[in-house]
Amino acid sequence: MKLRLLSRIAIAAGLTLVVTGAAFAQQEPPATIAITHAKIFTLAGAPIDDGVLVIKDGKIAAVGTNVDVPAGAQVIDGKGLQIYPGLFDSVTQMGLSEISAVSATVDTTETGKINPDAVAADAILPSSEHIPVTRAAGITEVLAVPASGGFDSRGSANLFGGQASAIHLAGWTINDMLIKKSVAMVIDWPTIDTESFDFATFSRKQRPYSEAKQEYDKQVDELSDWLENARHYAVAWGHGGPAEYQRDLKLEALVPVIRGELPVLVFASRVREIRSAVEFCDKQKIKMILAGGAESYKVKDLLRSKNIPVILQPTLTEPLDDDDPYDRSMTTAAELANSHVKFAFGSFDNSFARRLGQQAANAVAHGLAYDEALKAVTIYPAQIFGLSDQIGTLENGKIANIIVTNGDPLEITTDVRYLFIKGQLTSTDNKHKALYEKYLNRPKAK
Amino acid sequence: MHRVLRRSLSFASAIVSTLAPALAIVSLLSAALPYRAAAQGGEPQSFAIRGATIVPVSGPRIENGTVIVSHGVITAVGKDVNFPQETWVIDGKGLTVYPGLIDSFTDVGLVSPPPPEGGARSSTPPARGPEDRPASTPWRDAAGEATLSDKRIETWRSGGFTTVISAHKGGVFPGQAALLDLGGERNGDLVVKSPVAIPVSLQPPGSFASFPGSLMGTLGYVHQVWIDTEWSGRAESIYDKNPHGMARPRYDRTDSALADALEDKAVVLIPANTTIQIRRSFELVDLWHVPAALYGGQMSYEVAGEIAAKKLPVLVNLKWPEAEKDADPDKGPTLEALRFRDRAPSSPAALAKANVKFAFYSGGATSPKDTLKAAKKAIDAGLGTDAALRALTLSSAEIFGVSDRLGSIDTGKIANLVVADGDIFNEKTKIKYVFVDGRKYTIHEPEKPKDPPKGDLTGKWKLTFASPEGPDEATADISMASDGSLSGTVQSKHGNSSIIDGNLSADKFSFKINLPIEDSPSDVIFSGTFDGKTLKGNIHVASVGVDIDFTGAKPSDKSITSANAEAKVDAGSVR
Amino acid sequence: MNKRLVVTLTATSAAILMAATASKLFAAQPAPASETAPIILIQNATILTISHGTIEHGSILIKDGKIAEIGASVKAPKDAQVIDANGEFVMPGIIDCHSHIAIDGNVNEGSIAVSSIANTADVLNPEDIDIYRDLAGGVTTANILHGSANPIGGQTIVIKLRWGQPASKLPFEGAVPGIKFALGENPKHSNFGGRGTEARYPATRMGVEETIRGAFSEARDYKAKWDDYNKHVNAGEKNLIPPRRDLRLDPLVEVLEGKRYVHSHCYREDEILMLLRVAKEFGFKVRTLQHVLEGYKVADELAAAGVGASTFSDWWSYKEEAWNAIPYNAALMTRRGVVVSINSDDAEEATHLNQEAAKTMKFGGLSHDEALKLVTINPALQLGIDKRVGSIDTGKDADIVIYNRDPLSAYAVVQKTIVDGRVLFDREKDIADRPNLEKEKKALIEKEKKEQKDEKKSDAKPGDKKPEEKPKMQNDAAVVGGAL
Repeated sequence: MKLRLLSRIAIAAGLTLVVTGAAFAQQEPPATIAITHAKIFTLAGAPIDDGVLVIKDGKIAAVGTNVDVPAGAQVIDGKGLQIYPGLFDSVTQMGLSEISAVSATVDTTETGKINPDAVAADAILPSSEHIPVTRAAGITEVLAVPASGGFDSRGSANLFGGQASAIHLAGWTINDMLIKKSVAMVIDWPTIDTESFDFATFSRKQRPYSEAKQEYDKQVDELSDWLENARHYAVAWGHGGPAEYQRDLKLEALVPVIRGELPVLVFASRVREIRSAVEFCDKQKIKMILAGGAESYKVKDLLRSKNIPVILQPTLTEPLDDDDPYDRSMTTAAELANSHVKFAFGSFDNSFARRLGQQAANAVAHGLAYDEALKAVTIYPAQIFGLSDQIGTLENGKIANIIVTNGDPLEITTDVRYLFIKGQLTSTDNKHKALYEKYLNRPKAK
Repeated sequence: MHRVLRRSLSFASAIVSTLAPALAIVSLLSAALPYRAAAQGGEPQSFAIRGATIVPVSGPRIENGTVIVSHGVITAVGKDVNFPQETWVIDGKGLTVYPGLIDSFTDVGLVSPPPPEGGARSSTPPARGPEDRPASTPWRDAAGEATLSDKRIETWRSGGFTTVISAHKGGVFPGQAALLDLGGERNGDLVVKSPVAIPVSLQPPGSFASFPGSLMGTLGYVHQVWIDTEWSGRAESIYDKNPHGMARPRYDRTDSALADALEDKAVVLIPANTTIQIRRSFELVDLWHVPAALYGGQMSYEVAGEIAAKKLPVLVNLKWPEAEKDADPDKGPTLEALRFRDRAPSSPAALAKANVKFAFYSGGATSPKDTLKAAKKAIDAGLGTDAALRALTLSSAEIFGVSDRLGSIDTGKIANLVVADGDIFNEKTKIKYVFVDGRKYTIHEPEKPKDPPKGDLTGKWKLTFASPEGPDEATADISMASDGSLSGTVQSKHGNSSIIDGNLSADKFSFKINLPIEDSPSDVIFSGTFDGKTLKGNIHVASVGVDIDFTGAKPSDKSITSANAEAKVDAGSVR
Repeated sequence: MNKRLVVTLTATSAAILMAATASKLFAAQPAPASETAPIILIQNATILTISHGTIEHGSILIKDGKIAEIGASVKAPKDAQVIDANGEFVMPGIIDCHSHIAIDGNVNEGSIAVSSIANTADVLNPEDIDIYRDLAGGVTTANILHGSANPIGGQTIVIKLRWGQPASKLPFEGAVPGIKFALGENPKHSNFGGRGTEARYPATRMGVEETIRGAFSEARDYKAKWDDYNKHVNAGEKNLIPPRRDLRLDPLVEVLEGKRYVHSHCYREDEILMLLRVAKEFGFKVRTLQHVLEGYKVADELAAAGVGASTFSDWWSYKEEAWNAIPYNAALMTRRGVVVSINSDDAEEATHLNQEAAKTMKFGGLSHDEALKLVTINPALQLGIDKRVGSIDTGKDADIVIYNRDPLSAYAVVQKTIVDGRVLFDREKDIADRPNLEKEKKALIEKEKKEQKDEKKSDAKPGDKKPEEKPKMQNDAAVVGGAL
């Protein structure tokens, strides 16, 4: 019913919506659009009551109360509605995985340990069913991250997992979708595990700490060796190219890292691994972003002092240890915020990407300021990934990734009424809605 | 035991396979001769321990008293006792006489390997249901398999233990326990009574591919077995009355063995260490309708009153929970684990206070000394010394129905005695004599290292040696006292063995373990030189007289590259 | 942990195996059971009764563990403990129709295709920390199910989350016991099973059906044998050998006799209808379909069969059979007259079932009341415990949750959870207790360290001869240490 209402509004606004299955609907060239009488949360200043937002050439052309609606602009009456920047999911496997248990549909994690040259954008499926489903939750852009978890039945763990790509959640091809091809180099930080689950025998195995530690140290050494080699490689490269050196694609991929141009996105959850990763990056003089960070609250001062931002694991996660307080995963965001550690929320998933708002809201329920929560799914990830000049707030000149809602975009029951990606009104229809409509209309069985 | 470990060629059997001919000779010899040359000829049959402090357990202690032992039996106890002239007199001045100690649950005296378990990874086909009787060998008879060749008999006897309740390990129904006296000339001499118990384990023996692979499946299985046992007996008797025209009820070895053991008044031993397990066992006892005792009992401090109300005896495991060795230092124990470790030794006191009948067993404790030390911990946690002694003697005899012949120093009972130079729970006390069935064993102190040690062997060592199949490894967890005495364990692919005695004298080290090779235990001696960093020497397999070179190093030493020799431990045994 | 991983693991129970022994550092210990339940008056509350609308500024009197009185103004007896809700929201305790918490050991007896011999009731673990965590999420009753590795799985039991009580006190009195069935990928062992292990029958959905039919044929024969035996015995015949009691078949006979509920894990529309056909063939009822992610495709058939549906809020795409799962499932089935509940299948998910229920308002447009029913009276109906729990009505069990705001919001936080009139979770108390437990833990660690030190000292046997050349020994030790 809501769907039909949405269509009616769209038609009334003089816009055409392509409502075919899970397709997105983008037209060329983008129209000039003005949304009027809405409450606008720019996230660059105080909310604007009864404001106007103008979209032109895919960008935000004007925001404010005293804004003229350009001639010829399509006008959307935003009375009773609210405008926000589209949400940003900071860690997903979007486009890299369809059905996680069916390996033929999964391209998240390359085999072997050292895959710095693997780039997410090269394998993203623009017509993934996950994209429109996620978009319907008001998420307009995501980071697609290789080796970022998921369930790899072969149990292979990457050290260098590859390069994460920032993408818009709409586009006919990856070229339409790309915000930035290489945003961060994934490092899946090794762990000292004395306990592991063996899938071959379905039993839990334990081993001495000293042995696990030895293996861990070896892996950290391996990371270090690769970066060292990349440094030598870069020098050789600087002196007239790789003639002296045989070209090495993996080392080449690491060069931007050692030059400080490409941050590393380090997945680590326990405090000891976080600490050792921080020390490592410090020593290597490379830029670190922490991902996961279940125990990041234990090193918040360290993270603050080193200016290391955190992409926080989902708040809806069981605490690591039995002795942890029951709300441990919920309160970490507030603790980081209070210590001025920059952080963003991520779903770390595809099928639960649409829970991003819920994750943030739960952190608010456990002490995080609402504004911080909102920023942690919009402008903070943009800042962390170096994209804040393009997206994250509603400011003139930014890419018009915008949602128009009937309420708080973090609340479960809120609907996204209009969604714009690169200034184009984009359908929130998807596979789920289509199946819903189909079976809603199934004639009564006899 | 760990399937994974056993399946791979064990370090001991690797040695054996090179020595098959030699072994054949050995086993030929052992078939032809009695196990031990009888040294009976001139041995006296009667002893008097005179002027000693006697702790009968069944009554008040007697100062300056005398115990008379004759032909295996205690013939008199008291202050003023006369004895015939031919009696061998031991001056008991300064000595204390105790009843022989009883380890209420062990496998000392049994050396044959456990039966293969019904897992997907063993050679037996996976079990597809309770009818396949997975991991069940209740017909295995400890009495029939008890052997004097088990070296541990001497170790435990020398430590004051004259008697054990011994059963095979491995599986849900590993076999029937026998009460053994730790001495004699022939294997049969060991057996005092059999069967005395039917131990049950609820450790799932199977996997995702073999039944039962879960605790609930295992419980369902055991429920079914008891139902079947009852049914088989009933069906058989009805059939016997009038077989004509009636389908013959099937015979099942498991049912039959269990029914016979129950008829012999064997006690079913139910594992129950934690509060959850103890409370669960109450329901199991009601459901199974069997005479039962609990074993484990280390969380009794929480539920002693409830155990008393159920009138269940408890065998308390003296291997107290402790911090894991070489555990992750950053992954602290849970509060629950800490509380348990802190309070477990107070369980016996709680049981005593609640008037629960309980006895001690060595559990994972590998030596009699450690066992007594653990009992002392219970005393420190509030248990009376008398009660502790009772739990090592008379209470055990009562639980297993042999208090008419064992467990205290009373006229007419079997002459199992410990004569020590002081309080048995004092670490400094030395045991002078042990009597088993009236036979006197004089105890000698183990040899002390001659020279002060050069360096410290304490820590985890990786021992590398060559077996016929290629390089092999074992791990030694050694702790060295300041005088150079060594203790600890050696973990080979074969399992865990305690270091029986060992020392580092100057730079020469030597330590001995005992491993069952084929079905005969053999001393395995590691000896050589310690250069301050590594061990170099040979492994001597005493029973066959063969030496293999080995080297040892600490695994954390980076010069050692073989990182893939995991000490694999199966899921279940971790906690 | 990635939720998809959890789902896969729950199916194989690895998650449970991995879980360390439960501890309760931050779980306040409730009062012992022997104490009689206090008289409690909750006043000034927004009462979501479920059965008869919302009462603003209402009061609830709790006595003897039951709801004694509800209304706009209820007089407090003088010994009553008064909880001023300050306008906060009060609703019935959440009922989770699909849970694997509080199970000791493996959740699956996965070795055999018909594992009805296993019973979750045998292995309840009252100290599982997830009981407390779920209480903190407002759950008061849970249907404890065997895993889904078998077409016919183990026996199941409904428990109340009586934290602090022994296992024997957890079962929901009078609740009909159940048995787990499972269809599709999991009983086929599609996504797991140790490599190198022999494939277990069945490996197709056809085989799953035949396994169930085979088991019920056997159960029928077994029942006939017993009936025959009893007939002869009643006729005075003696010396008859009774049939062998078979713990695998007993629960199936109970299903045939309507004494045990079938809770069947399923995903696809075809397998759902298959089970309904088999049930009809053998004359038993399926009580609930669990997950039933394609239930929306055959909702009329479910309604006609009178079978309950217990589903996820918005899970999808974690495996092939979840590819057509839609978050509108609960709403679509509700609209077609199916009694629907939202379940967790996961200890963490259970802590926010209120939020999961709220999603049906967005996806399919259920009303506020309809959404709340999905986690209260509907699961109560499905489990046959609706006379006791599921709504706030006089005479019902005092299983009550207090939220600081509308529970159908992602911002709502449980303040108190009451089971049988006892406050078993109190957020304030939980927070206040944390430093004490932290302190106790520290003290125990210190104590243990000290004891270990003392032991080392006594091992050194001060009476023994001191080794000579002590400095040299230290040097040697330093060499060893240096190599570490």
